[in-house]
Formats: sequence, structure tokens, C-alpha cells
Amino acid sequence: MIFSSLTFLFAYLPLTLAAYFLTPLRWRNLTLLLVSLFFYGWGEPIYIVIMFLSILIDYTHGLLVEKYRDNDKKARRFVAQSVVFNLLLLGFFKYWDFLADNLFLLTGFSLPASLTLLGVTIPLRNIPLPIGISFFTFQTMSYTIDVYRKDAPVQRNIISFGAFVTMFPQLIAGPIVKYKTVAEDLNHRVHSTENFAVGARRFCVGLAKKVLMANSIGALWDAQLAAQGAGTLTAAGGWMGLLAFGFQIYFDFSGYSDMAIGLGQIFGFRFNENFDHPYLSTSVSEFWRRWHMSLTSWFREYLYIPLGGNRGGTVKALRNILIVWFCTGFWHGASWNFILWGLYFAAWLILEKYVLRNVLEKTPAPLKHLYTLIVVFVGWGIFAMEDLSVCGAYLAACFGGAPLWSALDGYTLRSYAITFVILIVASTTLGVRGWARLPERAQKVLTPVLMALSLLVCTAYLVDGSYNPFLYFRF
Amino acid sequence: MTKAYSRFLTAFFCLFLAGLLVWHVLLPDRAQSETENRTLAQAPEFSCSALVSGSYTEAVEEYFADQFPLRDGWTGLKARMEQLLGKREFNGVYLCGDTLISKVETPAEGMVDKNLGYIDRLAGKTGANVVLGLIPSAAEIWKEKLPAGAGSWDQTALLAQSQVDFRNALAAHADEPIFYRTDHHWTTLGAFYGANALLDSLEKEPLKENNFTPETASDSFNGTLYSQSGIHWLEPDNMEFWVQEEGLTVTSWRTGKEEPASLYDRTYLEKKDKYSSFLGGNQPLCVIKNENVTDGSKLLLVRDSYSDALAPFLAQRFSEVHLLDLRYYRAPVSAYAAENGIGDIAVVYSVQNFISDVNLVLLTQ
Repeated sequence: MIFSSLTFLFAYLPLTLAAYFLTPLRWRNLTLLLVSLFFYGWGEPIYIVIMFLSILIDYTHGLLVEKYRDNDKKARRFVAQSVVFNLLLLGFFKYWDFLADNLFLLTGFSLPASLTLLGVTIPLRNIPLPIGISFFTFQTMSYTIDVYRKDAPVQRNIISFGAFVTMFPQLIAGPIVKYKTVAEDLNHRVHSTENFAVGARRFCVGLAKKVLMANSIGALWDAQLAAQGAGTLTAAGGWMGLLAFGFQIYFDFSGYSDMAIGLGQIFGFRFNENFDHPYLSTSVSEFWRRWHMSLTSWFREYLYIPLGGNRGGTVKALRNILIVWFCTGFWHGASWNFILWGLYFAAWLILEKYVLRNVLEKTPAPLKHLYTLIVVFVGWGIFAMEDLSVCGAYLAACFGGAPLWSALDGYTLRSYAITFVILIVASTTLGVRGWARLPERAQKVLTPVLMALSLLVCTAYLVDGSYNPFLYFRF
Repeated sequence: MTKAYSRFLTAFFCLFLAGLLVWHVLLPDRAQSETENRTLAQAPEFSCSALVSGSYTEAVEEYFADQFPLRDGWTGLKARMEQLLGKREFNGVYLCGDTLISKVETPAEGMVDKNLGYIDRLAGKTGANVVLGLIPSAAEIWKEKLPAGAGSWDQTALLAQSQVDFRNALAAHADEPIFYRTDHHWTTLGAFYGANALLDSLEKEPLKENNFTPETASDSFNGTLYSQSGIHWLEPDNMEFWVQEEGLTVTSWRTGKEEPASLYDRTYLEKKDKYSSFLGGNQPLCVIKNENVTDGSKLLLVRDSYSDALAPFLAQRFSEVHLLDLRYYRAPVSAYAAENGIGDIAVVYSVQNFISDVNLVLLTQ
């Protein structure tokens, strides 16, 4: 189930809220576990099995790590075992096809499409990707590591642990909640009407970002991609398309995060922020400190630093950056363009760190901002186009390999001008700052009005059955 | 945030979500939507196999959306919002002042040539005179009304293949209401000009406008584009009947059996789909006989819905006009023409239907 759907908003959510708050305090984790399993099973009921498997294995491994606390060798073995299990889960469902395809291309050896064991045929190729698998495997991996590192106490209650693994607000599109972030809240959290109200307000903001902003600009990207296929793409159209995709993924993703954080708060959980106005960045490294922060910090804490970080000389630091960004790219999808996208950013980060540092320091801020945006939005091109030959042709058109402008571009620009202005303003801190300067009375009056507007207009867009994609089906 | 204010926001949020849920549950389910002119999804039946395959939950989502309270109000609200944002295209329909014009999408590759080929093969199979008439859509005739730079597939090359010159006949009267403003069909006036173009290519005497006394059948016609776009704030269209029923006998094979029918089914005028009052809308086969034309001339129209407004005019010059719809009539057309002594076959399609139709292959049977 996805948040931006009528069934979620007007059936699942009110019923879930009612069930949760009618449950006595000590049973609320159980309610949360049950409604989350229902949420997860809605799209692919069979995959609830994965949830149970995940809960059982990571729960026992947490206990084992705790049990062998004094025997570091054993404890480490159990951490490794749970990490391997999670990576195998991810590897099988997400990367198997990709690996098999490339193995075939390299060696001509074709893996069987299915396996028959004792009369039962198990498909091995084209298995549908369990929704959100990249998010929840990373979350459960963090658990045993956090317990091992004593960053969080072991969870002895399997219901509470199950609630952490399956928690529906962030289950399918992040933020990636590390166990230690919510360890305390899982056992003792504050349910207050203030938390509820603030969470509901945040949810409405996120919903509007997803349904009104991301969806409304997404169609423009699709049109430009189609124009590329038909050979009518112009340079202006190409850039409008890249802008559109960049805005779409930002408002979609940060909207989902807002909804997740808001829902979490309704239930008394405090999740970390996931986006901090990334398009205001004046360098690529700053961009990555502000974009999908829960993923970058996950990789930093559980991969980059364990690898040695930037200690141990330039060669090792370079190696570590390349490994981390290869993984970051690959995490986004099992396809070469995502790997290329990750390495593209690795290259810019290395350049910034070792070559451009002094140049950038002397560059005026607006120029640095422009440089960052161009790097990031060209990056979106690589991210959005899986077929690298299409991607190459598209980017060539953007950089002068096609006519600059057509009458259709004028029409497109006129149709989307207001939307673009809204999206640009919404990407800055202008709204937040303006809101903070309003007198409290005005805020009090405006809050319910804006919430009502968001709910009403989003409902209108959802009922109309307009364009409403789920962008993270590859994640 | 004070406690009282938090309570207020919480209550407001919950009431909005739960209120619509309760409304949804209490609201009786509708079988179909008049506005959208389609049947609506009903509550799906539960089965374990459907649940496991995922089709059950999918059906629930569809049901929930289709039966949502105030469905038409929400789609209207969305269109208003889009208009505020400066959009000119609404679900494939351009808003051009007080007129809605459907955007013509680029046809699938090879589709047009394939369909043109089928017409040629029909000509080779029958002794009757075969003509092709392609009716340009409003996006062609009213090109200059479209928003500047707006895309729509260029129909000119295809229209050059049409033996009946509907394009010039309509373009000559482009400043008149020849298409509905809220529907994709031509008006009765447009069909009148179209009829003369077709009669001209069949070497028949043209009709005179002053021989008809138009009757306003409806002044509240909201057509398909009204539904498709969600734009509900334009003036409804007028719909006219020009041809009188006297002297004409209409026979319909709506259910496969022969049954008497009429030139206009006025019950449709009380419904949303008013255009279907012409001959009663889509059907496999329909024959109009004119007792005042005694030369025994017979015309077979291979039709889409545009022909329903056209046929009453053609019946003024032929003893019999047969309308055959390839979507529902599955026997060979050439055999039908031979059995019924048809002299002329006119394949008359609107461009939009011709470039997407997959039934024209039946002409080659």
C-alpha cells in the first residue's frame, strides 16, 4: 500500500489510528506490528513471509550477540551472520537477475529460470521485488551492529522487535531508521495530542509535496523522455526534462519522508530528518550531506568508517570513497546506470576534495550553487535513464546536439511556468522562514486551513486517478 | 502548541479521514457513472486465490476509488486547480477559450498504412464502388484555436488519402459551430456539410440547408470532452435534429434480431450521453429506408459514431442507407454488400478512430 492512495488515506489510516489508540498502552506494539503486516501484505501478500523471516533471524541474532558479549570472536561471527543473511535476502530478490544477466553476457552461461526440488518449482528469474526491501534490510542490519557496538540495548521482546522491523510509516520508502534511533521509543514513548497534531500537520505537508508537486511535474519528464525516443527532443526541452525529474524525485522522496516522520510522530516515534533543502547546496559534498541523509549516514557509519574512512593515507581514502559510492549507486537499483551514477558522484566528491577545494573557496556562492545544480541534475539524467545509449543521446541533446528550441517548448514552458516557480520556491527555506515570521495568531488560523486545503486538493487529484507513480519500486 | 489547540488539530484531521470513510461506507454503490459514461467497479468478491495473487487488493483499490463520495466534484476541483496553475491540457483535452478540443495522439507505427491497406483490399473483393472518407477532428479544422505551440498529431498527410473531401467541406465553414464545444463529435451542422461532401463524391445531388428546419433537441448537452477533461464550468452545447422522420423507416439489429427503431431515440436526451439519441447509438447494423427515393440506390456506411449524425442526411438521396459497425458486426462486409445489392460502400471514419481502430482488418474477409 502507498501513502498517496485513497485506500490508505480514507480506509487504512483512520482504522489503524482507531485500532492503535483504542489499544491499551502495553499492547500497542502488537497492534503496530499487526497493522504493519497488513500494510505490507496489501501489495504482495505472499511476501509477509519475508517479514516473519527477517524478524525471527535478526531477533535471535541480537540475542546471540548479547549472549556472547564476553566472547568477541563469537559475537562478531553472529553479527557477520546476520549481515550476510540480510545481504543474501537483498541479493536474491534485488540483484539476482542483474547478476545472472551479466554472467550470461560475460561467459555465455545461462542460469536456469527455475529450480524443481521434490516436485516444487521455484522460480529463479524475474522474481517481483518485495517492496521496500532495500530499506528494511538496511534497518534490520543496523540492529545487530548497534547491539554489538553497545549503541543500543538488545531487544528481548519479539513483538517490539517485530514492530521495529515492520513499522509501516517508514517501511517502504524510508527514512532508513537505525535501531538505536528508536530503541528508546520502542519501549517507552510519549503519546500526546501535541505529538499527534504536529505529526498530522507534517503528514499533510508531505502529502501535498508528493501528490501536488512531484506528480504534477513528473508528466513533463515523461514527455521529454518520449520526445527523445521520437527524435524531437530539443536542448531546452532536455533541460526542462532534467529539471522536472530532479524536482519530481526531490518532492516525491522528501514528501514520503515527511509523511513517514509525521506518522511516526503520531505514534510517538522520533525519526531523524532525511532531507535538508538539498538544492540550496553550494558543493556536491554539501548536497550529499543534505540529500537522503539517512542513507548517507548509514553508509558512513556501517561501511565507510569500518573500512577505515579517510584514515590510512590517500590511496585508502580514495578506495573507500569509491567502494561507498559504488554501493550507494547500486543500492538505488540493480542496473549499470545506478552504478555509474554512484561513481559519477564519487568522481565529483574526489575532485572537490583533492582538486577543486581551493578553487571553490574563491568562487562566489551563486556560481558554486549553479555548478552544484548542473552536476546534480545531469546526475539525475544518468539516474533516470536505465538504457545508457538513451541516456547518452538525451544528455548530448541537452549540451547542444539538438535544435535549441521549438514551438512546443514554448507551450510546455507556459504550461509549467507557475508550477516551476512554486517548486523552486518550495525547494528553498523561504517558506519555513516566512512561516516563522508570521504572528502566532496567524499561524494558528492558517494551520488548519492549509491542512484542509492539502487534504482536499490531494483527494481531488487522487480521485481523478491522475498520474501517481511509486518511484521506489526499484529500491 | 497548547493542549486545546492540539486537540482541535487532531480532531480535525481524524474527522476528515474518518468522515469520508463513513460517508463512503454509507453511500450506496452506483452501477455506472453518467458523467464519465462508464460502468463503475463494484465491491470485489473475496477469495483466497485472489488474495494470494494480489488481484483482490487491486480490485478493492479500484472499487474504493470508483465509488468515492462526490466523485464528479473532486474531478472538477482538480481541473480548476490545473487551470489556476496555467495548464491548458486536461487529460488529453485542450481548453481553448469556451471550447474543448481533443488532442490527437501519434498513432502506433504502421497502424495508418495497415488500415489504409485494408480499404484497398475491400475494393478488390467487392463489385460495389468503395470510397474512403476520413473526417478531420476539431484539432485539425480549429487548429488556430489550440494553445500556441500545443502538440497534436498532424492529420494533413492522412486526410490527403481520403476520397471524400471532408476537410475542405468543414474548413470552409470553420467559423460556424461544426463541432460540439464539449464533445468530440461533429454537430448536426457539421454533419450536414459532411453529407454534401460525401454526396458530391458519390455523384449525387447536394442537399440544401433551407430544406431543413432545425429543431433544438437539447440545450444541455455535456459531451465526452466535458467528462474526460473534468472541465465542468463551460456552457453546455445545443444539440439539433434537422431531418424529419416522415417517410423514413429505421430497422435495427441491436440484439442480432431485426426490430423496428427510429431516427432519434429521445430517451437519450434525458441522459448524459445525448449524442446517442442519433439512431440510438452504437449497434452492429442499422438500415434506414426512404420511401420517397424510388431509384433503388443503396449505400453501405462502414461506420463509427460520427455516421449516426450523418446518415439521416444521406437517407435523403438513397433508397436505403445501411450502417454497419465493424466492432460488433463480424460477418464479411463484401458478402453483406453482395446479398443486399449495395451499389456504394463508404468507409467513413473520424481520424481519431481510424488511426487507432483494430477492426478494419475485418474488411478483408
